[in-house]
Amino acid sequence: MNADLPSIIQAKEAERRRLRALPWLEKLEMLDKLRQRHIWLQTMRPPTKQRPA
Amino acid sequence: MKDTLAIVEKLHADAIIGPYAVGGAVGAAFYLEPVATLDVDIFVLFEPAPLILTLTLIYDACARLGYQPEGDAIQIEGWPVQFLPATQPLVAEAVCEATVRESAGLTTRVMSAEHLMAIALQTGRAKDHARLIMFVEAEVADMDRLHGILARHSLLDSWVKFENRFLKP
Repeated sequence: MNADLPSIIQAKEAERRRLRALPWLEKLEMLDKLRQRHIWLQTMRPPTKQRPA
Repeated sequence: MKDTLAIVEKLHADAIIGPYAVGGAVGAAFYLEPVATLDVDIFVLFEPAPLILTLTLIYDACARLGYQPEGDAIQIEGWPVQFLPATQPLVAEAVCEATVRESAGLTTRVMSAEHLMAIALQTGRAKDHARLIMFVEAEVADMDRLHGILARHSLLDSWVKFENRFLKP
């Protein structure tokens, strides 16, 4: 096991706790940003090849 | 999102929609860390329950405000909003017991953490189980209240299966 893994997990947990504790209005702003990023990522994805019929 | 929820609350204030509650991923974000979602689920209680349930009034009111339907949702201030009739008993209870959130001039109504968990358990897709695990890990729910809800809606067996599958080492 990577020796850094426990500290990485701890840092991620701390970040999750921080996000959970945000005021709900700030969380709504985060949802806006997350959605925009999700849509942007979808546009960056190369089109999938269609199987011949 | 703030403007979207403000319009939903305006529809309620104008008596276009009755009691409502934000559910789904947006509802969960009030208790958990926000995760990416593409739409907003608004559960609406129709009182009294009409013989034929139609969302036409909501669609017409939104059209008057300049918000047009797109697929099975209405685009409101940049977010697709799905208005879902709260006909199922658990969802109806979740709407009735929703909490009012007010801040910086914005009012909205959100399902309780316990109802969001029960609905996720009942819906039972992979993403619902993932959300349920997040709720359990976050320890944001009143577990006695959750068990009461699960008992009322015959979900205790499903909860035991969920616990055995996901929460026990």
